[in-house]
Amino acid sequence: MTTDELEKLLAQQPVGFLHRLASGRIHRHFRLGKRRLIDALLRHSADNRAGMESDLQTLTKERPRYEQSVGHRQHPEPAAHQAKRPGHGERHPAKAGHEGSAEPAEPAPDLTAFLEGIGVPPPQPFVPDAWQEEALAHLAETDVIVSVPTGSGKTYVAIEATRRAIEAECTVIYTSPLKALSNTKFTEFSRIFGADRVGILTGDRKDNPQAPLLIMTTEILRNLLYDAAGGEIDVRLDTLGLVIMDESQYIADPERGVVWEETIIFCPTQARLLLLSASIGNPQDVADWLTSIRPTPCYLVRHHRRSVPLRAGYLHPSGKLTPLFRSVGIPHGSAAALHPEAKRLFAHYEDETLRPRSH
Amino acid sequence: MPPSIHPVDLITTLRHKHLTPAIVFLTSRRACDEAMQAFQRSQATLPPQRQKNIAAVLEQVIAQYPSIAEHPLLPVVQRIGVAAHHAGHLPSWKIAIEELMRQGCLDAVFATTTLAAGVDFPARTVVLTQSSVRKTRDFTDLTVGEIQQLAGRAGRRGKDQVGFAVLTPSPYIDLGVITKGLTGQPEAIDSQFVITYPMVLNLLKAHPLDQIQAILARSFAQFQLNRRAETLERKLDALHVQMEPYGPRVCADWITQWQVFDHARKQKAHRVQVRSHEPPELAARLHFLTPGRVVGLPKGRGIVLRQYRSRGQRSPMVTVLRANGAVTECPAGLITPVFDRTFEVEEAPVYPWCTPHSLDELTRQMSELPVRIPVLPILVQEEAEESEIVQTLTDEFPCPTCPSRPACHKDHAQALRLRQEIHRHTKTIQALHTGLWHRFQARAEVLQQFGYLTPTCHLTEDGEWARLIRIDHSLLITELIRADAFSGVEPQILAGVMASIAHDDDRPGAFPRISNGLASLLGQVRHLAESLAPHEDPPLLRADVAALTERWVGDPALTWIGLCRTTTMAEGDIYRLLARTLEYLSQLHTLNASHPGLADTASRAIRALRRGVLEELP
Ligand SMILES: Nc1ncnc2c1ncn2[C@@H]1O[C@H](COP(=O)(O)OP(=O)(O)OP(=O)(O)O)[C@@H](O)[C@H]1O
Ligand SMILES: [Mg+2]
Repeated sequence: MTTDELEKLLAQQPVGFLHRLASGRIHRHFRLGKRRLIDALLRHSADNRAGMESDLQTLTKERPRYEQSVGHRQHPEPAAHQAKRPGHGERHPAKAGHEGSAEPAEPAPDLTAFLEGIGVPPPQPFVPDAWQEEALAHLAETDVIVSVPTGSGKTYVAIEATRRAIEAECTVIYTSPLKALSNTKFTEFSRIFGADRVGILTGDRKDNPQAPLLIMTTEILRNLLYDAAGGEIDVRLDTLGLVIMDESQYIADPERGVVWEETIIFCPTQARLLLLSASIGNPQDVADWLTSIRPTPCYLVRHHRRSVPLRAGYLHPSGKLTPLFRSVGIPHGSAAALHPEAKRLFAHYEDETLRPRSH
Repeated sequence: MPPSIHPVDLITTLRHKHLTPAIVFLTSRRACDEAMQAFQRSQATLPPQRQKNIAAVLEQVIAQYPSIAEHPLLPVVQRIGVAAHHAGHLPSWKIAIEELMRQGCLDAVFATTTLAAGVDFPARTVVLTQSSVRKTRDFTDLTVGEIQQLAGRAGRRGKDQVGFAVLTPSPYIDLGVITKGLTGQPEAIDSQFVITYPMVLNLLKAHPLDQIQAILARSFAQFQLNRRAETLERKLDALHVQMEPYGPRVCADWITQWQVFDHARKQKAHRVQVRSHEPPELAARLHFLTPGRVVGLPKGRGIVLRQYRSRGQRSPMVTVLRANGAVTECPAGLITPVFDRTFEVEEAPVYPWCTPHSLDELTRQMSELPVRIPVLPILVQEEAEESEIVQTLTDEFPCPTCPSRPACHKDHAQALRLRQEIHRHTKTIQALHTGLWHRFQARAEVLQQFGYLTPTCHLTEDGEWARLIRIDHSLLITELIRADAFSGVEPQILAGVMASIAHDDDRPGAFPRISNGLASLLGQVRHLAESLAPHEDPPLLRADVAALTERWVGDPALTWIGLCRTTTMAEGDIYRLLARTLEYLSQLHTLNASHPGLADTASRAIRALRRGVLEELP
């Protein structure tokens, strides 16, 4: 069998079959899409073509004949037909030019539930969430890690904690991994606390370095701490009351992560640490670590609930939109059942895009 | 059908379904720019009121960042209400787009996934078109954490009741990765602690050597290593319990006695057979082809997963894990050399003969193997004469006549296995506890060798100032300073060299010509960097980016637009190059006590560099 023939044969197989073929051969094959899976199998076959071919033959024999004869429509999805409710067309048909060009003409599924509730909520007075209050209350006593989803309002905790620290005549340092973020926060905090109370430090520039709230990248803070340990005091570290580390998942950055560790190790004991992040899978580990090296046990605030619920959709290149999952919201946990229509459309898409290469 | 949806159709569809404003994540900057151009061509125009709103917001931003006023895309964004946002743009332009988005003025932004986490840049809908991103050279799947950072921008608190993450296929998408990202938990993070030269110098500046190990023990790295050690310690405890019945017998170390006795006995029994099948070299090597061993294969290298004998011929075979992650079979006879390196393997009774976790680990370790590994010298024993063996058996091993013989015979295989496992675990635990400290010592040794530390690990005169250089390639920079490479150089030459050290992107492009002075200095830098390669990875040292920086610093009359015209490098990349150069120069500036001349040149370079757009942001 030539490589071309093998590729062609592989391209004709459904994805599930390819995964079976790949198991044990290809590292993390389950993470690959069909095209990349085929490429990986071809690459692998360079080492052991005969083994691959024989497995391929055994496996193809196991499959019922009809499945192969279906050709490129590999995922006949009977459920798709049941899920549809005839009569509900798409309310806003997409551009006619694309509709139905190569798309199997199927009536769209009902999107009413999926698109329900879009809009702007009525204005409400600002009431802090319970977790925000919880974080602030504990910050009065000890270090706190806040691990909640994106867009939850971690900044509010940072601002409120800063306000309290400044009232107690302490210096506050806010660090972020990125200059872009530092700049945005500088603008935001200057608006809140007044320009005279916010300073920003970079390698060559010190704007208002005597201000009670200082914004800098984590590298700059690390350097300050080293200077202080070496005897050269640059900023008033003795009055430092709070260090906020935003986007603290950077502690796992392959190149820069070490700087976060250095900063935390050398953070003065009288200052409280406030770590904010949305994407640390094991915040309890980080909290346990802080507990083990800091004077007081670290408190972890953690939840997974999004303040604005999120739904997931699948948009086919023809302009057809369907829910991605069977449920209206995003199902959490392992058993994520895809919406049959999304599944069907995606299978169709993979076929279409694969066809040119399998000649 | 197009491999992916046309951007104008995409936004039209979203608009119809009231799903705007949206952030559309695309695979490349080029894709973002092309999406913008598609809109430009489509002649779509916003109603006048919306155009006015955009103009009003832009005016505020321009007041703060005047450079935006001349941005060529300004009128386009205003007319179509759609923008691109990626690392090729200037930070001030990105700030303008972010502000427009915050004010709800735009329908869509086309962005790359580098869109910084945390920058307040939300929308009602996020469109994902890819499941992997380019990291250095390879494409890597987005992690669950990354997907949630991207999708999590959908649904603005206070502005939306519900947010949408919409997936649209492209050739770069794997449905499984995305669904897992949407439904799963972010990955657990692991420490990436490394010991750097500046860290060693700064620690030793402030603490005596005997406190260092305790300080390193405070790292997250050590915390996680301790956790692993604890797990192993529990296993070790269990092993010790299992080992209890195998304490001292007639002879204290009966296990070793039996090991040797058994070996000699077997050798005697199988001598003829062994010789007929395997040459002594191979027989000797077989002992080392145990799971976890790194070996050389006819093509490349591999890690042994198991040793077995082929069904028919009974010839020795090994199953190996190759560098590409493939698990293949290989006759043991073809294996050469055997390396002096083994990894831990959690063995499993079926293919691929180890646990999936172990396979992952090994594949990773395989990819990180250094190019050169010492080869294990294997002593091939000449076969002893039969009579000699018999002699040895009775002379040195009294086992055949020992009363404990039946019990030892029954137990020794199990006891030996347990003992080996205990030994292995103990060594691993020890390595977990002392690894960081050893790495620190290795770094300190290099610094001693170069004269930054005294033999007692105190800072030398050079060490005192060298500790202030706390950036990548610090050893190269401090060595250049000690070699007087910068004495008397012009600020633009110094800036050029720093740019070439700082710039770590190998994106190609066209650039202005480099001056002779800078070219020859770069030659010297390159030479030194190569000689330091065993101790520190050399930087790219691109001459072209050095030339660009030289030009900007050397010619105060050169405008930003003029600079951009001399190169095909994107504006945002030029900005980043210069900003990083600025950071490196500012580190040189901190040396004003020990190297006033150099510090002064650095500060002149900084002043020349900080103009125009580089002055707008701190
Ligand atoms: N208690 C609250 N009630 C209503 N709105 C809130 C509340 N707390 C915060 N917000 C709003 O939520 C939005 C998002 O907040 P913020 O930027 O702090 O998110 P975040 O948690 O930092 O997210 P990210 O992980 O993206 O950085 C802001 O507009 C903020 O005003
Ligand atoms: Mg935030």
